Amino acid sequence: MDIKIIQKHIALLSVLLISTFICSEMALAHGEKAQQAGLRMRTLNWFDTEIYPRKVSVNDTVTIKGKFMPSKDWPRHMESIEGTAFLNIGVPGPAFIRTDSHVNGVTMIRSTAFELGKLYEYDVTLKARTPGRYHVHPLISVKGTGPIIGPAFWVEVTGDQADFENTFTTLTGKVVNPETYGIKASIALHAVWFVLGVLWIAYWFRNARKDPVIMPRFKKIEKLGQENADQLITTQDLVVGASTFMLILTFVAAGYFITEYRIPQTVPLQTGIIKVPPMENPNDGLLDIVVKTAEYRIPGRSFNVEMEITNKTDKPLSIGEFSTSNVRFINSKVKEVLAQDTHDLVASDGLRVPNNVIPAGETVTITMYAEDALWETQRLTSLVYDPDSFFGGLLFLYDDEGKRYYKEISGLIIPSFV
Amino acid sequence: MATSADDPVLTPPRSTTSDDRPVRSAVSSREEQLEAYRNIDMVSVPVIVLLFGGITVFLSAVTVGDWDYWMDWRDRRWWPLVIPAVYIIFPAVVGTFTWKKLRLPIGGTATMISFVIGAWLSRYFNFHQFAGFPMGFVSPSTFIALGMILDATLVVSRSYFFTGLVGAFIFGFIPYAVNWPVFALWHEPVSYHDTMVTVADLTGYQYIRTAIPEYVRIIEESTLRTFGEAVTPLTAVFAGFVCILNYYVWVAVGSYLSESHWMKKVI
Repeated sequence: MDIKIIQKHIALLSVLLISTFICSEMALAHGEKAQQAGLRMRTLNWFDTEIYPRKVSVNDTVTIKGKFMPSKDWPRHMESIEGTAFLNIGVPGPAFIRTDSHVNGVTMIRSTAFELGKLYEYDVTLKARTPGRYHVHPLISVKGTGPIIGPAFWVEVTGDQADFENTFTTLTGKVVNPETYGIKASIALHAVWFVLGVLWIAYWFRNARKDPVIMPRFKKIEKLGQENADQLITTQDLVVGASTFMLILTFVAAGYFITEYRIPQTVPLQTGIIKVPPMENPNDGLLDIVVKTAEYRIPGRSFNVEMEITNKTDKPLSIGEFSTSNVRFINSKVKEVLAQDTHDLVASDGLRVPNNVIPAGETVTITMYAEDALWETQRLTSLVYDPDSFFGGLLFLYDDEGKRYYKEISGLIIPSFV
Repeated sequence: MATSADDPVLTPPRSTTSDDRPVRSAVSSREEQLEAYRNIDMVSVPVIVLLFGGITVFLSAVTVGDWDYWMDWRDRRWWPLVIPAVYIIFPAVVGTFTWKKLRLPIGGTATMISFVIGAWLSRYFNFHQFAGFPMGFVSPSTFIALGMILDATLVVSRSYFFTGLVGAFIFGFIPYAVNWPVFALWHEPVSYHDTMVTVADLTGYQYIRTAIPEYVRIIEESTLRTFGEAVTPLTAVFAGFVCILNYYVWVAVGSYLSESHWMKKVI
């Protein structure tokens, strides 16, 4: 092939490659909407999420708190949160350190398990470490299923990481700074063995400047054959080998016993499960909701549910919000909620509920429409690709004094392609 | 061994093509040949170190990587078993080649040095500089002693069988003891909200790893529970036996690979 044609091809490929960098958006968040719609809708219902403050300096504290309810209709084809779970944080690496975390007041340094349909309140305390702008999420990792990500907000950290401070004290009174702890010991240990290893190799090449080693030995062995090749090993080599063998074992034993003497109190790595009792749900027994039909339009941006709601409170209620997959569809006639940043998934006028009054003590059939571009941009329409066409979410109702009631709703859902 | 001055193998070879036309050798004098051999010496060991550094780091990453990446994964049951069982592969293969072809017991040491260099580079640039984890928490363990034990046993015994029985057993037996001067620092106890944890556990908890929830750590899980607190020696003995078997398998592989006939034609 003509060299000029090859050069043209290379130039064209280079232009195409470079243009992908120029034209593509910077990936700032974590690809939350890449998860299956069913996973996001029917696993954890996160609500009342707060992350504050949003702008901090290195060493400042950031608090994340809120509530979650594992769905009572957890997908059968996914490992349940009733197995093993862990409260975690979604950030790009240790830009923050976690100084504390609790669920219902129980410290969450261990793994745990949660019950379906129950209410939990969590809080996590972070300390800012690395300057930058981060999309911070609470998340719960479920063994066998993966991370279930909660709502997120952008947090900006200013300052210099060199100013970061973090220490804690062991039971023996030693103050540990994890930023630098153990480095000197590790380097020293490696240096000792590296020198010994290099000396061992250097021994075999000790006369290499005068007498090359590799090729002459190779040719000699070719001549002698494997049966007689051991003639190349001299008595000196045997003595050095045996001495090295003993020296290594002596060094290892010495290192071990000296360490035992200097650090007598050690314990094995700790692991285990800790139990978390669920909270009392203040809404238990106050609402009954039966989903009758649910439909979502694939080409469109809407989802509607017909349900029978029984109001067992003593005040009339109205539907104010439907929350699913961390997307909040708000009924602007009942409450006002605005997005707090560019990635806050709030459809401020995304919920439409005709005849939106459920009198006290009565049962009413209501159809609710969740209509917003978020339905599509957050890829909730990809529910059609799930093996179980079933939706889930949290419904929030309010009385005329603003008191809130909430209950999970879920049910079979049919797509409409028109 | 004879010196270069009187070694007949150093005579520059005369070779012919298949149709008996004489071919001129690349070297035309003893001095030139010695110079070529010195260059081979100078290049070979660094090449082995660089080449196998990358390969062994990759092997580690796709097999037992996590166990040695983080201090809070280096437990008493899994780390002492899986690490030597995998890391004995290249010392066995390369060691067989260097012994068989050169009678040089340097394969184990060279591959372990190369792995440790590669591991340090990876931890420093990837885990510390790029990802931001404290260097002490992700610093690699040392395995050079293990490679040296294999090599020393091989030169003393001049036998793969005995090297497997003794050298490979010690290779599997000692990793935890070799690294205990560092591990002990991370196993000091801490009270965190009335929960006893180690320094390693707490550091792992504090320095957030979104993709590594606590339960993912494969540590301390096993059925060998009848020896009380003597977990580590028991695991070390078991690891020793596993390494004996693994050593023989990979010596066989190394032996087979060393028999490539094309090597003779090149050299």
